[in-house]
Amino acid sequence: MSWINAVVQGLFLGGLYALFACGLSLMFGVMRIINLAHGDLAVLGAFGVWWVSSETGISPFLALLVVLPVMLALGYALQRTVLARSLRGGELTPLLTTFGLAIVLQNALLQIFSPDVRSLGPSVGSLATGSWRLADQLSIPYLGVLILAVAVTVLGGLQFVLRRTGFGREMRATAQDPDTAALVGVPAASVYARATAIAVAVAALAGTFLAIHSTFDASSGPTQLIFAFEAVVIGGLGSLWGTLAGGVVLGIAQTIGAHIDPQYSILAGHLVFLVILASPRGRFIALRRAHA
Amino acid sequence: MPTSPMSEPSPEPGRRQILRTAGLGISAMALGSPLLAACKVGSGDSGSGGGKDTTDTLKIGFVSPRTGAAAGFGEPDAYVLGLARKAFAGGLTIGGKKYAVKIIDKDGQSNPQRGSQVASDLINGEGVDLMLTTSTPETVNPVSDACEAAGVPCISTVVPWEAWYFGRGAKPSQKQAYKYTFHFCFGVEQFHQAYTHLWPQVKTNKKVGVMWPNDSDGNAIRESLGPLLKKDGYGIVDPGAYTDGTNDYSSQISRFKSDHCEIFNTFPIPSDFATFWRQAAQQGYKPKIVQVAKTGLFPSQVEALGPLGIGIAGGAYWTPTFPYSSSLTKISSKDLADGYQKSSGKQWTQQLGPSLALFDVAAAALQAATDPRDKKAVAQAIGRLDVQTPVGRLQWGKGPNANVVAAPILGGQWVQAAKGSPYKLDFVLCENSSDPNVPVAARLRPYTS
Repeated sequence: MSWINAVVQGLFLGGLYALFACGLSLMFGVMRIINLAHGDLAVLGAFGVWWVSSETGISPFLALLVVLPVMLALGYALQRTVLARSLRGGELTPLLTTFGLAIVLQNALLQIFSPDVRSLGPSVGSLATGSWRLADQLSIPYLGVLILAVAVTVLGGLQFVLRRTGFGREMRATAQDPDTAALVGVPAASVYARATAIAVAVAALAGTFLAIHSTFDASSGPTQLIFAFEAVVIGGLGSLWGTLAGGVVLGIAQTIGAHIDPQYSILAGHLVFLVILASPRGRFIALRRAHA
Repeated sequence: MPTSPMSEPSPEPGRRQILRTAGLGISAMALGSPLLAACKVGSGDSGSGGGKDTTDTLKIGFVSPRTGAAAGFGEPDAYVLGLARKAFAGGLTIGGKKYAVKIIDKDGQSNPQRGSQVASDLINGEGVDLMLTTSTPETVNPVSDACEAAGVPCISTVVPWEAWYFGRGAKPSQKQAYKYTFHFCFGVEQFHQAYTHLWPQVKTNKKVGVMWPNDSDGNAIRESLGPLLKKDGYGIVDPGAYTDGTNDYSSQISRFKSDHCEIFNTFPIPSDFATFWRQAAQQGYKPKIVQVAKTGLFPSQVEALGPLGIGIAGGAYWTPTFPYSSSLTKISSKDLADGYQKSSGKQWTQQLGPSLALFDVAAAALQAATDPRDKKAVAQAIGRLDVQTPVGRLQWGKGPNANVVAAPILGGQWVQAAKGSPYKLDFVLCENSSDPNVPVAARLRPYTS
């Protein structure tokens, strides 16, 4: 029974990883930017939600409705002002830019919010701590179900937008060949800015769930980035359904690993990641042109 | 593919400008925190004795983590530095000669490389006469090492002394492994005393589920505390060393549940404990005693857990009820906490005591040396020092070895603050085995939240 529980908890953990990885996957798929500030943008979103919710006393989920548009705008502005310019400098420059951005964000958050540890868990009540107890050793946490549902909805929704809508077609066209897309009247700059806006907003969403799941402070971003990155690579760079699958595979690998010995939890995740990289599919990932 | 960097004609000014601006931003941020913190306390370059007949200035370096993962430890530093600068403002008279005292504080950024770098800046650039450093092995150990190598006397605290003494390469047989570096802090023995005096206050089956991480603290505790507890008749259920930053603890929880561990003990980083403890609530693991170390030191870490945080047992190396005063500033423990709460608007933290104690020891060391400029003499003086500080009386030469004074850590519990308190939680001491002068405020109550 405890093995089943390990798989179930891993599935829910995978939902959180997938949500984290979603924005990373989108930005890589469309612009081939690996956003090293992704984790810190998520933490920024969490701080935003925490601030709104503690200033006004409203639930974090209502606060999220306020913060998401702000993060959308921030993402849009970020691409227009900083990333677009660094993209012109070749493939390495955005990497350096986002690395710098990560440091700026961490220190700015530390200055503004002090090093205190915070959490959104207490303000959502039993959602953070409650569960359906199916058996003594098997329980389904409310929060896990919610996060997984949100992850499926967000990733599925984005996949639908990419496949079925005009905006999605523009994005796919730009991802495959920005110059040709521009020839037929699809301005890459605008598509990129919209993709970044979505990525940053989803990062904020993921940050909020992380803040309910655990605690956060100004330096929490980078630790989650590595898992998000692994989920993206396991699932195949630039593919959104793949990212969801990647997150779940990573989550289950960690919980199964921990069930054998807690020492192997994180290691098991890393091993799955390395096996995928070393497999023929890994070479395919490395060589493949991005397409969302 | 976007244009490759090779085919690019020339780097356009816009990008350079951005990088430069970002770079400036980064360095401004990095520099900003200690500078701002120093400005906040408003005394800046105090202590240089102005128009008096002093030409000689003693320089004290102070390194603590103000940013990064351990920034919570460094939070009250600005306030303590302000107190110390005020106390040193009149200078020190040593051997009939008057010296001005200047404190130079630096941020170790919770990073060993950075700690080592700022230490050598202070030693070689500023030429400090004495170094003080506090909080976590990541900051303290590299600073101590740099001082030992350069022959600069150094006093440190808030690292379990075993992690400081043995963690820097001393052998158990050595009685004085270091010539210039000295330390005061609790060790495994004090944890053991605190736990074995605290846990019997609640009736349990004496089965302890432990989550000791795979890091320097966790492994040290596994090796030394585990066997001690076993000797006292506690059964240890150790599922194994987990990695810091793990996001799921279901396997440990199911093990503790099936083994009916009524006591739970852990040494985690704050976010890991929050993840674990919420998951434990989801999966129905409810021990009678939740004994947490390393996290749960500061109110914010426990407040972040919400109702789940009430009733968690912890340890304290200083509280406002410690019946001691600082010998340098004459401030009592209670006034120290009150003053901090008034000036910062935040609840007291345990860091206030040891940070101020560092300056008590520093002043005493400089005064005890025949020539405060003689680094060897100062180091020798520290080895014989007997100082009154907010954390208690520190006497070198009587500890486990010549470099270390074993300071107390006392067991207590986080409880809901009394009505009318501006804060949500309060920490009450439940045992005083390693320092009987400190009053016990309450009995440990079983965890119920």
